[in-house]
Amino acid sequence: MNQEERESQLSAMFDGELPATECELLSRRIDRDDNLRARWSRYALIGAAMRSEPVATARSGFARRVSTALRGVDERGRARRRRVLLNTAMAASMVVGVAGLSISMLRNAALVAGDGTPGPSATANTTASNTTLPEIVTAPTGGSAILATTSAAHRPSSAEPLSYVTPASVVNGNDALRTDLADFIVAHSQYSMPLMRRSLLSALVSNEDGAELAAAPRAPAGTPAGALHAATAASASSR
Amino acid sequence: MGADASDLSLVRRVQRGERGAYDLLVLKYQHKVVKLVMRYLRNPADAEDVAQEAFVKAYRALPQFRGDSAFYTWLYRIAINTAKNALAARERNPVSYELDLHTNDDSSDMVSRLKDPETPEGLALTEEIRDTVNRAIAELPEDLRTAIVLRELEGLSYEEIAESMDCPVGTVRSRIFRAREAIDRRLREVFDGGLGRTEELV
Repeated sequence: MNQEERESQLSAMFDGELPATECELLSRRIDRDDNLRARWSRYALIGAAMRSEPVATARSGFARRVSTALRGVDERGRARRRRVLLNTAMAASMVVGVAGLSISMLRNAALVAGDGTPGPSATANTTASNTTLPEIVTAPTGGSAILATTSAAHRPSSAEPLSYVTPASVVNGNDALRTDLADFIVAHSQYSMPLMRRSLLSALVSNEDGAELAAAPRAPAGTPAGALHAATAASASSR
Repeated sequence: MGADASDLSLVRRVQRGERGAYDLLVLKYQHKVVKLVMRYLRNPADAEDVAQEAFVKAYRALPQFRGDSAFYTWLYRIAINTAKNALAARERNPVSYELDLHTNDDSSDMVSRLKDPETPEGLALTEEIRDTVNRAIAELPEDLRTAIVLRELEGLSYEEIAESMDCPVGTVRSRIFRAREAIDRRLREVFDGGLGRTEELV
């Protein structure tokens, strides 16, 4: 394309009569070609003079002043974006730090609740397939099933997680039992409805009586007290 | 073809971060915007300041421009709002404006005179440019003159001009280009003669 054709294109582009794809190419060329740029400016001046618009703005360097002002706008924008990125990064690192601290504190609490010895078992593991499940013992009470755990389930091997939950206190001897009960529920409820699982755990956490019931001395089967005990425990576990 | 296809193309480039494209929009619309703002602010120097502010505001808002309306319609709205705000600010604070008017600071006066298109130099340039353009138009062959007048004064599209002049669109494009070239040759003689400074136009 020769210079005259290019200038003819420029005139058409100035009037908005050039296809968009050609406009794109030509406007990039204007960026590099001072002659085309000056011509573009003079085309604007010719139209302004014909319409009696104030043409002296061309002399006062108006476009140059705007361009300088825009450079400042761009620089401030870049500085602001840098500040936002920095703040975001700082906030993210704080969140990670707090989360790490919380995990560490929870882990320490879990160790205190267990045997107090740090080891690989201290890492919380919520994958049910890797856990030793507490056994279910059926009390010899004529078929009235009561949840209980064997003493072996209280001390899993060192390669296995201690617990799904952290007991609030180690003072009460029933806490270990309550923990095991929660572990059992979690381990066996992987295919159950989440709402039911949550209800069970909520009931367990909020109602200490439920755990105490599970650990309380049982009345002999066949007595009214024994029957009441069995019924209450079954009700608590199904909640 | 839309009347502002080239504007939209430039706008898209600016939206992609190529600020150089915005300079072309400023060069194209500076005269129209200053004239528009001067309807509200009579002082040409104030009008230029407000017009500059309008261009900066438009640049900042350009990422939100979706192209639903023509760029110049959108730009004009911004310019009018900016001019009205400037006028309201002046009415709220007339004292400082009066003080500004009566300041005896030589340096600020010099800056103002340099910027003011209504200084003798500015007026002389304006008159010289207008005379040159009008003389060049008068000397144009009839078909070229009609084409450029219909385009610049009546704002017709090439297609409308082609219908009006009963010729193909390509011929209209060629006639308008040749008319501009003839006027531009005369204009360059004025600038090269020293009255205007060509470098300010780039």
